[in-house]
Amino acid sequence: MKTLLFLLLTLLCSNAFSQTTISGKIIDQQGSPIMEASVYLKGTYDGTATTEDGTFTFETTAIGLQTLIASSISFETYSKADDVTKLNMITIKLKDDVNTLDAVTVNAGTFNAGDNAKVTALKPLDIVTTAGALGDFVGALQTLPGTSNVAEDGRLFVRGGDAEETQIFVDGMRVFTPYSPSANNIPTRGRLSPFLFKGITFSTGGYSAEYGQALSSVLLLNSINEPQEEKTEISIMTVGLGLGNTQKWKKSSLSLNTSYINLAPYQKLYPDNNEWHKPVESVGGEAVYRYKFNNDGLLKVYGAYSSVNFDLTQEDINVADGIRFGLKNRNLYINSSYQDFLEKDWSIATGISFANDHSEIKYNTSDITDNENSAHLKLAFKKYFSSRYKLNFGAEYFATNFTENFEDSGFEDDYEFDNNIFSSFLETDIFFSKKLATKIGLRGEYSELLQEFNLSPRLSLAYKSGTNSQFSLAYGEFFQNPKNDYLKYNSDFTAENTTHYIANYQYVKNKQIFRAEAYYKEYGNLVKYDTPFALPTSTYNNSGSGYAKGLDIFWRDNKSIKNTEYWMSYSYLDTERNYKNFPTSATPDFASKHNASLVVKRWIEDWKSQLGFSYNYSSGRKYTDPNLGGFLTEEAKSFNSLNANYAYLISPQKILYVSVSNVLGTKNVNGYQYANQTNTDGLFERRTITPAADRFFFIGFFWTISDNKNDNQLDNL
Amino acid sequence: MKTVLLIATFIFTLSLSAQTPYEKGMNEAFALWEQQKNTEAVQLFERIASAETDNWLPPYYAGLIEIVSSFGLKDEALLNTKLTRAKEFLDNASEISENNPEIMITYALLNTAYIAFNGAKYGMTLSGENVAIYQKALAIAPSNPRVLLGKTEWDMGAAKFFGKSIAPYCEDVERAIVLFNEEEQTVPYYPYSGLERANEISANCKKETSPN
Repeated sequence: MKTLLFLLLTLLCSNAFSQTTISGKIIDQQGSPIMEASVYLKGTYDGTATTEDGTFTFETTAIGLQTLIASSISFETYSKADDVTKLNMITIKLKDDVNTLDAVTVNAGTFNAGDNAKVTALKPLDIVTTAGALGDFVGALQTLPGTSNVAEDGRLFVRGGDAEETQIFVDGMRVFTPYSPSANNIPTRGRLSPFLFKGITFSTGGYSAEYGQALSSVLLLNSINEPQEEKTEISIMTVGLGLGNTQKWKKSSLSLNTSYINLAPYQKLYPDNNEWHKPVESVGGEAVYRYKFNNDGLLKVYGAYSSVNFDLTQEDINVADGIRFGLKNRNLYINSSYQDFLEKDWSIATGISFANDHSEIKYNTSDITDNENSAHLKLAFKKYFSSRYKLNFGAEYFATNFTENFEDSGFEDDYEFDNNIFSSFLETDIFFSKKLATKIGLRGEYSELLQEFNLSPRLSLAYKSGTNSQFSLAYGEFFQNPKNDYLKYNSDFTAENTTHYIANYQYVKNKQIFRAEAYYKEYGNLVKYDTPFALPTSTYNNSGSGYAKGLDIFWRDNKSIKNTEYWMSYSYLDTERNYKNFPTSATPDFASKHNASLVVKRWIEDWKSQLGFSYNYSSGRKYTDPNLGGFLTEEAKSFNSLNANYAYLISPQKILYVSVSNVLGTKNVNGYQYANQTNTDGLFERRTITPAADRFFFIGFFWTISDNKNDNQLDNL
Repeated sequence: MKTVLLIATFIFTLSLSAQTPYEKGMNEAFALWEQQKNTEAVQLFERIASAETDNWLPPYYAGLIEIVSSFGLKDEALLNTKLTRAKEFLDNASEISENNPEIMITYALLNTAYIAFNGAKYGMTLSGENVAIYQKALAIAPSNPRVLLGKTEWDMGAAKFFGKSIAPYCEDVERAIVLFNEEEQTVPYYPYSGLERANEISANCKKETSPN
């Protein structure tokens, strides 16, 4: 009987009597109650949600040490291990989750493209479907503010800087020769095909300490980690042919692309103002191999080879027969990167890139052979202490060897230099709250060639002023060794430098983005020389200087007009510099005071077509008129171009694409060339430098063959 | 004595015949979901998941509710937060049960929620991913009616977009209905649902492909 009673008592106890009450209140950092937060004991069924005043109470049969978890959407999850009896009448303060979309982002100077970013200025498809960009991602970026349109060059000119001041990186590794060579006055194109990338970060200033050797801007491209499927792609274009294939295995994948471009048929139909002896012919191939290790590690190896060949005669006011220019270029680029997540919230990223660029140039009677070997090695670590505090540090080594052989009617000379740079960087990201964040970095660079060490501090700060708006500030110092054109003749230099000051305001609401950014940039130690061109015999020094200041405005609206997206950019630029052989401080000929562009895209459902327009305007650029005296005092007429494109989805896997640049055939002027000698009237005669052709047509047919009947090459265009 | 025995037996039976905490929790969570109390339902499934660490169903349902309830949201930040949470739940579920076709197609549903919110921003990358998910799931479970139906619905959407006939896909819907009816429902709380949806699509098929 006694045993039975005891048993009964025990049962009763375990069933009903050993309940402990857990209770308390959950508040946010301002002390306001959080309702509907989830509170429970880990590993048990016991828990509840908070009421309107943030309080909670529940019973548990668990005893001893238990872990209490409190979580609510857009707050960091809280956990506390204690004896259950002590988890009564407690107050829990939840911290804002800083990883949400509505948290502040440190973004002064930066545009993001691709779907991985919080605020995307350009979407993946925009990179390739912007009218006038002709499938070149650089062309699409030129519709963003902060860039100057230099129609005859095609490269990126950012905020009063020349094209060499922008560096391009793929998966953190430097691309040494990102542009295909082209003749004078003919715009170049990027070598990298746009469909290899899933995310693009374009910084027009004030960028991270992880990147260096760029005075103005960096363009960071992230390649695709894993292709979606196996497929074969065939392209037939007015300018050539393309063939691609992707294979996938369990842990790895291989993509191959080949292209053959020949402009001869096009130039037969639409002759331009150059006399082509050998129209541009290029053969290229690229391969990407990706391997996923079991432990999240990812290895990517990218290799590209291209050869370009052309020969032409271009008009010149001082040479009656014109100037003969021929080029044979071959370029090999290899980029391998490995990234992995280690234990205790560490991650590692390492890589090596190598480029060999070989050019044989014929310039009238001169034969020039250039050979450049460059390599970049990098090792970087990241540590996530918490979502609020991250540390990123690493070291890298850049090596460049350049040789040139110059031969002209019996005269021969060789030039060579090694430009090796060792750098290391340290950067930290701190979120003080969901509203205030900062990034502080320091970069040190030692140049073996210049035998000097430079330290560049970088700082940015962002404050979220409202639900949809935020302010950011950035400051940074940037160093870059003088370009190859000077280093091959002289190495008694110091690095050129810039200091950036940036203030940014951004408003993002419901598929609309407004962004305004003001900046001031100071140039120091720019290279100067005392001859009309950089020559082996010139006297060089670093006494040049300059500034650039301006305002960039961006507006994108995907909401107001149905099936239509548009964006507008405007840049105001005030810049002067005294560098190269300038006798005085002046606005360089690549900079225009006002740049504006409008891009419109409309999807027409019934036609299964996308129609796109873009309009580019830039105010006239400076030139020197020797008849008037002065230096870079005259202004050429403004540049206007209306471009259109049309993509028609014949079937899910067949696309017809038509694109026309400068539809209206506006007669643009790239500049003027004056005669070296006066004519009989005592005047310097001039020749207007116009684009090689007013319009450019492109028609292409793209066909994708895959198991997935919906995939197409729209993203390649 | 008799009373004591009676009470003892009563208590014993109570603790034996009563639902296990798992059943009680799951039933309660489903009831909450039915009453549209999504937040509470997710929270309860989350709690069950924390206790039943080797059962993929609780985190699966927690993720599923987050996804389903994010369709139609206007605020991208909230959408992203909910879907990020949903992905964590699904990741948790697939760690417990690898290559599970039910979880795989729920990842596809998660992608669809992003695409439905902003097709231009998310469509290009995620739609290809979805096709790959359905192909893989179908290879693993060729006679799973939900996988077949999910894949068919996805293909139908694409066909409609290009103004093509959906007729060839209607056969697959009928095949899915047969598979639904043949399916043996043995695992408690397993997501066997989908027949209703299949019937709806089938009815739609008949309407659209009928000669008049």
